[in-house]
Amino acid sequence: MTSHQAAPAELNLTRVFDAPREIVFRCMITPEHLTHFWGPAGTSAPIEHIRVDARPGGVFETVMVNDADGSTYPTKAVYVEVTEPERLVWTETHSGMTMAATFVDLGGSRTEVRIRQTNVPEAMLSPDAQAGFRTSLDKFAAYLHSLS
Amino acid sequence: MTVVARDELDATFMALADPTRRAIVARLARGDATVNDLAAPFNMTLPGISKHLKVLERSGLISRSRHAQFRPCHLEPAALDAALGWIEANRRIWTERFDKLDAHLRAIQATPAPGGEAADVD
Repeated sequence: MTSHQAAPAELNLTRVFDAPREIVFRCMITPEHLTHFWGPAGTSAPIEHIRVDARPGGVFETVMVNDADGSTYPTKAVYVEVTEPERLVWTETHSGMTMAATFVDLGGSRTEVRIRQTNVPEAMLSPDAQAGFRTSLDKFAAYLHSLS
Repeated sequence: MTVVARDELDATFMALADPTRRAIVARLARGDATVNDLAAPFNMTLPGISKHLKVLERSGLISRSRHAQFRPCHLEPAALDAALGWIEANRRIWTERFDKLDAHLRAIQATPAPGGEAADVD
């Protein structure tokens, strides 16, 4: 048993879009596109605050603005991997969270995007930790909910 | 968006990194249990279980009575909720983001090229 196992907070999410993979991928690294969807419901992501330098080590910055009260949530990240149009990985500099997006061409102009979000920087993921991620905590969460 | 102290969350997720500790938490979600109760189904020694319980206790996920003779373990839902809340909050953000991306992709693909003929509409 290792005492410094990385914490496996992990979120896995998959979504299929009716669009070619190249277009979906470009949407994720282009401010003119990001501004339309980056802020979740009730927020917006003004284009003037989006910075994208899509290459390993390049910055990815956004500001989400709460539509109701104008409060802002700035996020700074650094790209770890940019493999167009297949894979995009970035690590948030303030939280250390890593987001990995994988783009799968399903044919017929349909694209599956798989998001894996973990609360540790990609660089810190030991083989042990990666093995731990396979037992994902969101399944555990579903199980616990089923008990109550 | 809920902000929870990151150190606390780390401790919680660290504690939940181990399958035995997750099983202990799942067992305690059904009700309090003593160390003996917990050791039996896992085929573990009492010291082995105690080690796991210490990690869980330090993370705030469980508490143990100081007074009762068998010191039953009790799940602390707030700590667990914070951990599960992290997952739920982020799932919601991505789901809502993808809803918007879906609409955006439809919009840009439906737009006719500038100066071109209007797209066919069924």
